[in-house]
Amino acid sequence: MKAIRVQRTGGPEVMELEEVPVRPAKPTEAVVKVSVAGVNAIDGYFRDGRFRTPLPFIPGQEGAGVVTAVGEQAKLVKVGDHVAWSGVLGSYAEFVVSPEELLVPVPAAISDEEAAAAMVHGLTAHYLVNDAHKLKSGETALVHAAAGGVGLLLVQMARAIGARVIGTVSSEEKAQRAREAGADEVIVFTRQDFEPEVKRLTGGKGVEVVYDGVGKATFEKNLNVMRLRGMLVLYGMSSGSVLPVDPSKLLEKGSLYMARTTLAHFTATREELLARTSALFGMIAGGKLKLRIAKTYPLKEAPQAHQDMEARKLVGKLLLIP
Amino acid sequence: MKAIQVKQVGGPEVMELVELPGPPPKANEAVVKLAAAGVNFIDVYFREGRYKAPLPLVLGQEGAGVVSAVGADVKSVKVGDRVAWSGLLGSYAEYEAVLVERLVQIPPGVSDQQAAAVMLQGMTAHYLSHSTYPLKKGETALVHAAAGGVGLLLVQMAHNLGARVIATVSTEEKAKLALGAGADEVILYTQADFEAETKRLTGGEGVDVVYDSVGKTTFEKGLNVLRPRGMMVLFGGSSGAVPPFEPIVLAQKGSLYVTRPTLTNYIATREELVERSSAVFAMITAGKLKLRIEHTYPLSEAQRAHRDLEARKTTGKLLLIP
Repeated sequence: MKAIRVQRTGGPEVMELEEVPVRPAKPTEAVVKVSVAGVNAIDGYFRDGRFRTPLPFIPGQEGAGVVTAVGEQAKLVKVGDHVAWSGVLGSYAEFVVSPEELLVPVPAAISDEEAAAAMVHGLTAHYLVNDAHKLKSGETALVHAAAGGVGLLLVQMARAIGARVIGTVSSEEKAQRAREAGADEVIVFTRQDFEPEVKRLTGGKGVEVVYDGVGKATFEKNLNVMRLRGMLVLYGMSSGSVLPVDPSKLLEKGSLYMARTTLAHFTATREELLARTSALFGMIAGGKLKLRIAKTYPLKEAPQAHQDMEARKLVGKLLLIP
Repeated sequence: MKAIQVKQVGGPEVMELVELPGPPPKANEAVVKLAAAGVNFIDVYFREGRYKAPLPLVLGQEGAGVVSAVGADVKSVKVGDRVAWSGLLGSYAEYEAVLVERLVQIPPGVSDQQAAAVMLQGMTAHYLSHSTYPLKKGETALVHAAAGGVGLLLVQMAHNLGARVIATVSTEEKAKLALGAGADEVILYTQADFEAETKRLTGGEGVDVVYDSVGKTTFEKGLNVLRPRGMMVLFGGSSGAVPPFEPIVLAQKGSLYVTRPTLTNYIATREELVERSSAVFAMITAGKLKLRIEHTYPLSEAQRAHRDLEARKTTGKLLLIP
C-alpha cells in the first residue's frame, strides 16, 4: 500500500510517500481501507518529535473508511462496515490496522469525509462542553481560537446549549467565521487585549468557563477573566506549554478550578466512545453542527497540508485522500 | 472591655490581655457580647505576621454571642439576638462590632459554644463536600488529616452523603476518632504509604476526589491516587506550600482537575452565607454532625490555647470564653 512515512523527525519535508506492506490483523484488530484521513495539530507534534514514537512511523490519528479484514476474535466490526476512528497512529495510508474497539460505526447519513473531519475535533468539542465543564444555559464561555478546528465546533455546541459565547481569533476573516458559528462576541486579539474586553463584556464579573487550546500565551490573563469559582479547561497548547502553575494563584484569583484534559480520557470505555460519537453524528445528520472542510489533498501532498496547517491561514478541517 | 491584643508579631507570648474601650457600632454594624470565640490556625498566622494586618490588632476570626447594641441603619438583627460569624478580625474580646451582613442567627438547639466552634471549620467542611466537589452516593473520597478540625466534620458529611471515605491520620488514637466519625478505611500514614494503600483499597481505580489540607508532602501522591477526571481539592498547606506544578502532568495522570478554594469565596453573598450556616446548624440539631469541643479556656489563657494548638496534640476544637 501507499503510505506517508517519517524516517526522521523534522519539518513537513520529512514526510515521504512510500510503498509499505499492510500488516495482518491481530485477533482483535481490523484492517480498514482508509477513504479519508484527518490532519490534526498532534500529527505535527509527532512529526517534529515533540511527541515521541519509535521511528520510522506512519503519521495520522484519525480517519474513516471500510473494514476489509478482521482478526479471528473480532466481534465488534465485520468486513464491509463503514467505520471511523481517532487515536490510531498510522492513518496517513491506504490501509490502517486498528484495535476493533476504537472503530465506531458511521451511519448512512454521514459521509466518510464528514466522519473523518469530525472525530478528533468534534469529539473534543463534545467532551469540553458536556463533561470537562458541563456548560449550562445562561453561562458565559470564553473560547480561544474560536475559528480553529475545535473552536468552530465548540462555539456551535455551546450556543446550542444556550450559553453566551465570547470568542477570540487572530484576524477579521476568522472573526467572521466565529460569528457565523454563533459566537455572541468576538475579540480580535491581535488588535485588542482580550483581558479588559472580556471584563467589559461581562460587566466586570468574568466568565464561568474558559476553553483554552492555546496554552502559554493566554494562561495568565485567563485567570483574570474568570468569575469566582470559575473553571479553566486547558485542552491544548498551540502557543507552547503553560509554565508551571503555583496553586496559590488559583486561590488568589477566586477559588478557581483548572483541568488539563485530553480526548483519550473522555472516550476511555467503548460505551463512552459510542455514546459520544453517536451524539456527534446525530448533530451532524440533524443539521445542528456544520462542519467546515477547508481543503482536501491527495495523500502524497501531506507535506503541503502540514505547511498550510502550521501557517494557520485556512479556516476549517484539512483532509488527506489516499 | 477585656481583649487579647498583639502589638508586635511573634510567638504566643506576644498576645496580651488588655483593657480597651468597648466599640460603638457603625451604622451597619451590631455590637455582640461574645459568649465564645473559636481558636484557629489562621489566628496563629496573624499572630506570627505570616498574614498581615495593621498593628496593634485584636486576634480572632470567629465567634458567637448576643447582640448588645445596633447601628442606626440596622434592621436584620436586634438587641438580644443570638448570632455567630466568621472571617472578621477581633473576636478574642468581650465585645466585637460586626458588619450585620456577616452575622447569622443561631437557631434554638445550637448552643453559643457549638456555633462558635462550627463557623469556620463546619462551613469549610460543608462547602468542600457540597459545593467544591459535590459528593454523590457511591463515590470515594480521600480525606487527609481526617482527625483534624475540618477533617472530623468533613468525614461525617461525606459519610452522610453516602460516599465511601478513606482517611489518613498520624496516630492510632486519631484513627479511632476518624472511624468514629464514619470513615470506612483509615490509613496511618506514619506506618503505610497512602498512595499504595489507596490504590489497593480502590482495586487500582483510584478515588473520585482528594480533600487535602496538608499540601506539600501529600500533593504529588494525591494526584497518583485519583481516578481519570478526578479532582484534587487543595484547601490548606499545613506541611508547607505546594510548589508550582506543570499542567501537562494533569493530562498525563488522567485529565485531572485541581482547585485551591477558600471559605470566603464560598460565603461571598449574604444568601450563600445564610444557606450554608443554616445547613450546618440543621445538621447539628438533627444530631447528624457531632462537634468535638476539646477544651475551653478563659480569654486570659489565650497564650496557652495557642501553644496547645501549635503542638498539634489537640484533636478537637479549642474555644476562648471571654
